Amino acid sequence: MRVPSEFDAAAPADIPSAGLLGGLQGLLNGLNTVLIAASGIAAGAAGLVLTWEVAGRYFFKIPSDWQDELSIFLLVGATFMSAAWIQARRGHVGIDALAHILPPAADRVRRFIADLVSLAFCAFFAWRCWALLIEAWEDGQISGSAWGPPLWIPYGLMTAGMSVLVAQILLQMLAQLAPAERR
Amino acid sequence: MSLVTIGLLYGAATLVALFSGIPIAFALGTVAVAFMVVFMPGAAVGTVAQNVYEEMASITLLTIPLFILKGAAIGKSRAGSDLYAALHAWLHRIPGGLGVAVVVACGLFAAMAGSSAATCSAIGSSGIPAMRQRGYSPGFAAGLVAAGGTLGILLPPSITLILYAVAAEQSLGRIFLAGIGPGLLLTAMFAIYAVLRHRSEYRRAWRVAEAGGRRSAIIADDHFTLRERLYAVPRILPFLILLLGVMFALYGGIATPSETAGLGAVLALALIAAVYGAWHLSDLKPIFESTLGESGMLMLIIGMSLLYSYVMSYLHISQGAAEWIVSLHLSKWLLFTAIALLVVVLGFFLPPVSIILMTAPIILPPLKAAGFNLVWFGVVMSMIMEMGLIHPPVGLNIFVINKIAPDIGLKDIVLGTLPFVFLMTAAIVLLCVFPEIATAIPDWVYQK
Repeated sequence: MRVPSEFDAAAPADIPSAGLLGGLQGLLNGLNTVLIAASGIAAGAAGLVLTWEVAGRYFFKIPSDWQDELSIFLLVGATFMSAAWIQARRGHVGIDALAHILPPAADRVRRFIADLVSLAFCAFFAWRCWALLIEAWEDGQISGSAWGPPLWIPYGLMTAGMSVLVAQILLQMLAQLAPAERR
Repeated sequence: MSLVTIGLLYGAATLVALFSGIPIAFALGTVAVAFMVVFMPGAAVGTVAQNVYEEMASITLLTIPLFILKGAAIGKSRAGSDLYAALHAWLHRIPGGLGVAVVVACGLFAAMAGSSAATCSAIGSSGIPAMRQRGYSPGFAAGLVAAGGTLGILLPPSITLILYAVAAEQSLGRIFLAGIGPGLLLTAMFAIYAVLRHRSEYRRAWRVAEAGGRRSAIIADDHFTLRERLYAVPRILPFLILLLGVMFALYGGIATPSETAGLGAVLALALIAAVYGAWHLSDLKPIFESTLGESGMLMLIIGMSLLYSYVMSYLHISQGAAEWIVSLHLSKWLLFTAIALLVVVLGFFLPPVSIILMTAPIILPPLKAAGFNLVWFGVVMSMIMEMGLIHPPVGLNIFVINKIAPDIGLKDIVLGTLPFVFLMTAAIVLLCVFPEIATAIPDWVYQK
């Protein structure tokens, strides 16, 4: 079984690297690099915001009203925006006990079906994220807190992250169908 | 369709989805959405994204990426090897002092990093070669680090305990404190075992040497001058200050758990910049990449596990299963044993985060009805899941050790961890007999 262990950031797995698919993956790699850098900055910023919350309240008696919510936006954003980058490295863990039992040909079919189900779920979820984003944008929805920031911000980050994730899974599946283009 | 049929179908669909190799997050999400489509009103399906966002937008849950960042910052620095080297310099007079130093370093590191894999890797990468160089058997060295690493999910800020606090709706501060007593108990048990096992390997090596055989390095005495011992202190002092400072901020009423997570991450990054000069982009990139890789994967599993539990609860599957367990009228300890075995079996296949979020709605109500303290149970459940980290088939720590010490065979590692599985079982029994080991500290701090 693959389990959450030391994450191997340097090892993209079974992504296309040649032909048309390779070109598209190249574009997606560029986008993922930008998104992972933004996610890193968001995670660091969340740490700073929360540190400021303690320091501001303890030393300067500044009330905490926006810091928790801003941190939530930053960390939800970092989670979804890094999803495709993780997928490119097959870092979303699953139980692959069957991989050790099935013959290679049957295992390829299993992997393809597993990817197909993942794609269907992520596409459905991304579609619902889009609907949520459009509704929040059109209705001008804001959060219920005293600070009241617009909700299209976190929904937008979720939607963008899920959409790129769908594109990444799709490319990995197409690479399986066209093995000549894989490497 | 009856509740029982829906429940069985839900369980079967989950097993099929998980074992087909679909990533856990997507597998749980798929099962939840499929059952929403078939058994729930259309409006519920439409709000699935909002549902996941609202479940995830919890400041308690979102401490997880920050604690992982703190652990990654410390884990990618030389703090791990400095820590055990300093402890060894001070503990070398004890027989098996190096082994004891490794165990104590694992405990301290786990309390700073909050992750088993990070602890194993940070202490093991220099600790295992050092122990082998001094003649410790490969299995003993590997088992000690694998077991020491498990302290990461028991000592605060354990991610497992954070999730349990959310799932069981218990105070995070209380649960963190409840992990300390059992964490210290296990550290002590591992250290005593290290001394005894060292004595036994020492005697065996001595007999071989006396018979004219190879003279093992385990017979040689270590010696550290006072100067060497004092020199080791400044390197680890900042990290001990970080550890104690964060605990003080949390329990001194200065910072909330989420603020503590943010403060801890920022301080850890500042410390490795100050102590090891790790402030260049090339130093920070691997720290942030490993943080995002691990936390992104975990947070998606958590978000989808919460959706999965929501569907299970909406369809009354969890309530029905809980009521059924209660209606069996099992004796208190039979119920506990059955649930503990369920957690052990699930631990063969699933990481602790999924086990907690998927089973909490089913197993906690019967335990509460039977009169168990849920804070105590959270700690016991974590210990059971810790055992899953060092025994096959999953045994995450076994694979971490295998990666950092590839010359030690998997069989040696597994055999080396076995005594620790027994020690942990003994600790769980002790905790059942004396629940105060876990509950005394939170009761004292919170005045009941």
